[in-house]
Amino acid sequence: MRLRIIFSVLGIAMFFLIPKLFADYNLYQFCLIAVTSLIVLGLVIVTGIAGQISLGQSAFVALGGYGAAILATNWGVPLWLGIPLVAVLVATVGFLLGLMTLRVEGHYLALTTMAFTAIVQLALVHADAVTGGAAGMPVPSFELFGKSLSTGAELYYLIVPITALLFIVVINLNNSRTGRVFAAIRQSEIAAEAMGVNILVYKASAFAASAFLGAIGGGLLAILVTYLDPAQFGITQTVYYLAIAVVGGLLSPFGAIIGTTVFVFLPEFLQTFQTYLGLVFGIMLLGFIVLRPKGLASLIDIENLKKIVFKSRRESVGS
Amino acid sequence: MLTVRNLHAGYDGKEVLRDVNINVPTGSVVTVLGANGAGKSTLLNSIVGLVPTSSGVIEWNGGKIENTTPDQALKCGIALVPEQRELFLGMSVADNLRMGAYLRRNSLDIGAEQQYLLEIFPSLKSRLEQPARALSGGEQQMLAIARALMSKPSVLLLDEPSLGLAPKFVEEIFRILKQITGDGTTVLLVEQNAAMALDAAESGYVLDIGKITFSGTSEELKKSPIVRASYL
Repeated sequence: MRLRIIFSVLGIAMFFLIPKLFADYNLYQFCLIAVTSLIVLGLVIVTGIAGQISLGQSAFVALGGYGAAILATNWGVPLWLGIPLVAVLVATVGFLLGLMTLRVEGHYLALTTMAFTAIVQLALVHADAVTGGAAGMPVPSFELFGKSLSTGAELYYLIVPITALLFIVVINLNNSRTGRVFAAIRQSEIAAEAMGVNILVYKASAFAASAFLGAIGGGLLAILVTYLDPAQFGITQTVYYLAIAVVGGLLSPFGAIIGTTVFVFLPEFLQTFQTYLGLVFGIMLLGFIVLRPKGLASLIDIENLKKIVFKSRRESVGS
Repeated sequence: MLTVRNLHAGYDGKEVLRDVNINVPTGSVVTVLGANGAGKSTLLNSIVGLVPTSSGVIEWNGGKIENTTPDQALKCGIALVPEQRELFLGMSVADNLRMGAYLRRNSLDIGAEQQYLLEIFPSLKSRLEQPARALSGGEQQMLAIARALMSKPSVLLLDEPSLGLAPKFVEEIFRILKQITGDGTTVLLVEQNAAMALDAAESGYVLDIGKITFSGTSEELKKSPIVRASYL
């Protein structure tokens, strides 16, 4: 318990210290990492933890971003309300998509979810009355208590706490009974079913959770990039998210953060390599699948860290 | 008494079981013998609803169970130890047991159940925190049985517990079987190892390509020329 408090205090101290130490551009990058890792966290849940291959993540992101932006532009719904509202709706769509897992699985599920991404992208192009079509649409500014947030530093205080909160919720769920049931489904679907687990509901809920996180991420991304166009939400982008998840570690929520950090910062270091960036990412993905299927997160012994925290908690209970 | 009457079941329109009738008196061990592909696993899976039944009735203590799902079967007290054990290999022995009690909410009862089962399965006791993957084949089968017993079932369906095990473990498993039936659990045992199964069971059936071709007490089955020729 003591160690936990120390970690929390350190975390909060770092949160307030970082804006003092870094330039606005860096803070903007941190926001981008936070938002992307939130989107990837959705994939970690559905593909890693629940074991259902999804190529639908960028569609959820698109629906979340466009949905909130359209509500704000056409109906004057403020973004702070619109983003969670739309995310709940998108989660419902995710749940319905998840019910499909009753009929399709494996490669076919991957293809079906990919088709979903393609359909959403096409719909965005053709519904130009509300979405601005292929040219896209500007995102209204994010206002909270009459103050408009736009710089990296301002958004940092909005985006990072939301991301942290959602990560804490997911990590706690994953360490609870729910996480154990998902692990059971992944390891033996037949046995889990024989134990009385309603597999379909669990899988569909995993899709709903990934859709929710994707949509929240999409809403925050919209604020961050200030302009939406359908090209940002295609199949390439969905594969990009999956690549981040694989490199970071599909089974670990921390993997989402680690993977995203690598994918956001790597292009900075490889400025001269810009043309070959896709190649670098491709080789990385291939390398990780073959050599480190559990991703970068598996290089850090998270289990061991947990043991330390757990042990200190037990000691403090004893004393 | 667990009764299966006129059961037809199969996958995607392909019928595997045709007009199967079986009686398992409360507190007894009944075995179903059959070769590979006879439909033994399909029979057990369709009783708990893992495989849909196309027609027929399954009754437990007079109550009808129709178009059941595994969780409903468990709530009626019917638990399955699936073929090939199907353990959660990456999870600890303790977590496997906890999953077996998935539908039970009272953690005190669950703890007591686990204590009790560890006395019946002493080899699991010292390995509670190890992953199921680390257990030997025999121990894995013990764990699979213990996991199913965590739901405190009145009927245990066992799918080839002796498969791929050394004779020492097969004996151990049949010893344990006697112990749980002594506690009043009813057992339906599906086996290829006919000699062992008939020693453990009071009566039995022969299933051949989806049909019951012979039934009787264990003694009658042991003497029957069909059984002797094909299974002993």
